[in-house]
Amino acid sequence: MMRRTIVLLCTVLAACVAVSAVLAQTPPRLVVQAPTEPPGLDLTATPASATAGVVFYNVQEALVKMDRHGKLVPWLAERWHTTDNRNYTFFLKKGVRFHNGRELKAADVKYVFDRAMNPETKHPYPRDYDAIGEIIVRDDYTVTFALKSINANFLHNVARQGSVIYPREAVETLKSHPIGTGPFRFEEWLRGDRIVLARNLDYHVKGLPRLDRVTYRFISDPNAVLAALKAGDMDASLFGLGPEHVQEIQKDSRFQVIVGDTTNDVILAMNNARKPYTDVRVRRAITHGINKQDVLKGAMFGMGKVLGSNVDPLHPYYVDLAGAVPYDPVRARKLLAEAGYPNGFETVLRVAPQYYYTVRSGEVIAENLKKIGVTVKIEQIEWGQWISRVYREADYDLTIIGHAEAWDVKNYANPKYYFRYDSPQFRELFAKSEVTLDDKARRELFVQMQKLMAEEAPVVWLFMHPRLAVTKKGLQGIWKDQPAGAAVVDLSEVGWAAAK
Amino acid sequence: MALVATLFFVSVLVFLVIRVLPGDPAELLMGLEGSPEATERLREAMGLNRPLPVQYVEWVGGVVRGDLGRSIQYDLPVGELIVTRLPVTLPLALLAAAFMVLLAIPLGLYAATHHRRSGDYLAMIVSQLGISIPQFWSGLLLILLFSVTLGWVRSGGFDGWSAGVWPALRSLLLPAAALGLFQAAVLVRATRSAVLDVLGEDYVRTARAKGVSERGVVGKHTLRNALIPIVTVAGIQLGQLVAGAIVLESVFALPGLGRLALGAIGARDLPVVQGVALFVASAIVVINFAVDLAYGFLDPRIRYE
Repeated sequence: MMRRTIVLLCTVLAACVAVSAVLAQTPPRLVVQAPTEPPGLDLTATPASATAGVVFYNVQEALVKMDRHGKLVPWLAERWHTTDNRNYTFFLKKGVRFHNGRELKAADVKYVFDRAMNPETKHPYPRDYDAIGEIIVRDDYTVTFALKSINANFLHNVARQGSVIYPREAVETLKSHPIGTGPFRFEEWLRGDRIVLARNLDYHVKGLPRLDRVTYRFISDPNAVLAALKAGDMDASLFGLGPEHVQEIQKDSRFQVIVGDTTNDVILAMNNARKPYTDVRVRRAITHGINKQDVLKGAMFGMGKVLGSNVDPLHPYYVDLAGAVPYDPVRARKLLAEAGYPNGFETVLRVAPQYYYTVRSGEVIAENLKKIGVTVKIEQIEWGQWISRVYREADYDLTIIGHAEAWDVKNYANPKYYFRYDSPQFRELFAKSEVTLDDKARRELFVQMQKLMAEEAPVVWLFMHPRLAVTKKGLQGIWKDQPAGAAVVDLSEVGWAAAK
Repeated sequence: MALVATLFFVSVLVFLVIRVLPGDPAELLMGLEGSPEATERLREAMGLNRPLPVQYVEWVGGVVRGDLGRSIQYDLPVGELIVTRLPVTLPLALLAAAFMVLLAIPLGLYAATHHRRSGDYLAMIVSQLGISIPQFWSGLLLILLFSVTLGWVRSGGFDGWSAGVWPALRSLLLPAAALGLFQAAVLVRATRSAVLDVLGEDYVRTARAKGVSERGVVGKHTLRNALIPIVTVAGIQLGQLVAGAIVLESVFALPGLGRLALGAIGARDLPVVQGVALFVASAIVVINFAVDLAYGFLDPRIRYE
């Protein structure tokens, strides 16, 4: 009798445990770190990467999408068509609804691009739309862009974060309540603490998204992020942890570390308008004087890839020029002597410790350059000062920074850019590449541009900053590489394996 | 009058210091990829092109009418931002103050009454440690112990009071402890020396001579008379709690006033920095005023005309 009672009790207990386990199974949710709070959620008002990290791809989408392999694929437009490369007609996907329930129509597309081109709007990237002449609505689902001139980047620009499609009626509130067609709808923004997105039940891609809720928690302190991950308060840090933090968490079996490629090129910029960097021999000497492998080891714990030009490995026309101007201190000294600096010179390197890898890189570089007689004084300045003094006013000798934007060789064709690199030959090549549509010819132009860059050494391309993401084990669908920009994190296909 | 003068001085100082700093809010908002034309348009829209005195007079005029301006970053009224952050920072500061007082006064008393004995030395060593360890470090150690290893409390974040009093308190306990511990370490020393001074007074010897119990001597005759320097130090400490909160709110990812200010400085969100600094300065002025009033209560000889 006693034994039967015990068996019965045990069975009931086991059943209760099983039932409660099923009940306690958490719905698919994700808590993820956001290293900085967005300054607003309107992609047509701010270029901030913190805004793109939350809104782009997740809340708002464009006609064309750059996918995880860097390929442009039809998105809100189910296809496009052009016969003369001047008139592009987009055929919209039918039945796509904004988060406010209204269907996306061709008039919305026209409104969005007309507004972006209007200087009154204060769109952050007005130049992306310079080539557009007229936008003609053919019917509710067909719209034609008539270009003023052939532009090889047109489709690319239509896929950028500034080209997201939103409903006209929501334009005034995009900053605090973005509305789009994305897999998640905006739910809440607790200023200073978090942003919450919820599943879009009406998403136009069937079966997606896989998560019910995404919470972005704003935590900038990497130690606090590590603690939150380890304490189980956070599921993932997809952008914002450095190699020094990842090393530690790699030892913990509860987490997976994703290391991938990005478009973030870390460079040592030289002020080409300031002596002695006006002389190409000095610039080449500096390049020869830096052991990039050492920098990668010292600054990034060996993670990342050494670069030889500003075209990164994710670019379709990438040529590996990492060894084009190799580490060669003897040659560097010779070049310096030829340029009139047989005893080297003193120079100041300004870095912003907000991006700590720049400080570590600077220390290795200063050590390297000492061997060729160049004394580098490292000056740490705050990010706001960096933007004002270095970036806007070009008041610097040397600086280190990562350029995260994809397809950004255009900066080298702009003599007013803070490198002050003024090369008519490069500008000509670049201008040609802008209007060359034939893939083979365009590739050839890009190869020439890369070789010319390596030759003229306007900056020293150090390394590609790797994509470093840490998540709890079992989280799937995260992009390994980031071809669409280093801060862009597409969560539409992300979900937990089996039960979390 | 002194109050108004102090606040005026603070307002000018805050206004100028934040503008002397290199760094332009419009440039920061636009980031690296924004075009110079777009940045210029934004600068104009934010009114940053006007002369400084005009900007100052406009700001002060608004403040007098109760309008602290609009945040550049959030596009919300600064007053509203401050009010939404207070439910985090105020309880945090109060909890920390409670930690500070409950820990420091008994420990200081104990050290003074056990002068030059092992208990005194131990208390002094502990307080020296407390002063030497930076708050962000003790905060991280507390997180490692209580949240990562033991799992008793959350590692950071704050769900708001609407989620319940206990969950909210749980989020605040660790940061309040980290904040209070440091301040307590300072207050222990102040308490000890104040009590030691009073213990050497003639009236203490008289009280002992007439047979008052040691508890009565310490509790009634000594502590009350030692309270004036203790309250003075504690008042200053209360002001410093706010400064400490800036650091700890970052470590514990709390959406408080400190993190609001820190983020605003980084983004050169001038109206927010000005608003928070003015608010904190006003709070400190009020605390000092309260301390002055407390003197009269503690020592009937002090009277305010």
